[in-house]
Amino acid sequence: MLLIECPWCGPRAETEFSYGGEAGIERPADPYALSDAEWADYLFFRRNPRGAHRELWHHAQGCRRWFGVERDTVSYRIEKSYRLSGAGSGRPAAAHIEASKEKRR
Amino acid sequence: MSEAGPPRPRIAISVRSGRGFLNLRLNPRRGQALEAAERILGQPMPRAANTFTAGENEVYWLGPDEWLVATGAKRVSALGSELAEALGGFHAAVNDVSGGHVELLVRGADARTVLAKGCTLDLHPREFVPGQCAQTGLGRAAVLLAAGDPSTCTIVVRRSFSGYLRRWLAYAARPRGARLPAL
Repeated sequence: MLLIECPWCGPRAETEFSYGGEAGIERPADPYALSDAEWADYLFFRRNPRGAHRELWHHAQGCRRWFGVERDTVSYRIEKSYRLSGAGSGRPAAAHIEASKEKRR
Repeated sequence: MSEAGPPRPRIAISVRSGRGFLNLRLNPRRGQALEAAERILGQPMPRAANTFTAGENEVYWLGPDEWLVATGAKRVSALGSELAEALGGFHAAVNDVSGGHVELLVRGADARTVLAKGCTLDLHPREFVPGQCAQTGLGRAAVLLAAGDPSTCTIVVRRSFSGYLRRWLAYAARPRGARLPAL
């Protein structure tokens, strides 16, 4: 079992968490400018690397916060975990939505 | 050799009835929302993760912007209104979640040993010290565990899980002579 360090609660057993897939995927600034292939790439395709991987985890049975983890997919070693605060914590997505609304007007 | 009766159980499981719960959400870094809530509660709110404060009420840390206030069932409605009024000017939320939660008390010298059977946290009194709380798994249920004194643990669990959890606790405590608590 993995011992995952929640940035708020400290090290907890893997069973308390749920996995959220690859981290750092940005919603395209203007979805309407994308081809179907590009949109499908954003929605469905992930890197699946062998080695270092940035991913999202949710402390489902604990503080119920999302956070980022850097994990090696070969050794399962967790290099670090970090809070999703500051730049890139979701605000840009809201800005993108506003921008795409503007374009449709 | 003298005839001894069955060993006296060193664990007691009970339901603490007449409790009310408020879920409180606010941004502790913005303005004086935390202080405003503290004035109404009449006690400090826990700022450190996984701790709680006990006073007139118990206030448990649930997340960086989320707390659970445990109080008397008769007091909860008024307290909720007072908090909502005091936090009116802030980006905050007060919700009465009394109907969804049950508070259990596990007491006795064997309390932590029994809880440790179904919990991945280190519950030794040296590690899980009075004043600490943790949301974690117990058996297959998600619970809020709080350490009172070294021989007392409070469990707050979803009402729909409380029947299961009471049976699980009774089963786990049976080798230590405990009986099934009233459902």
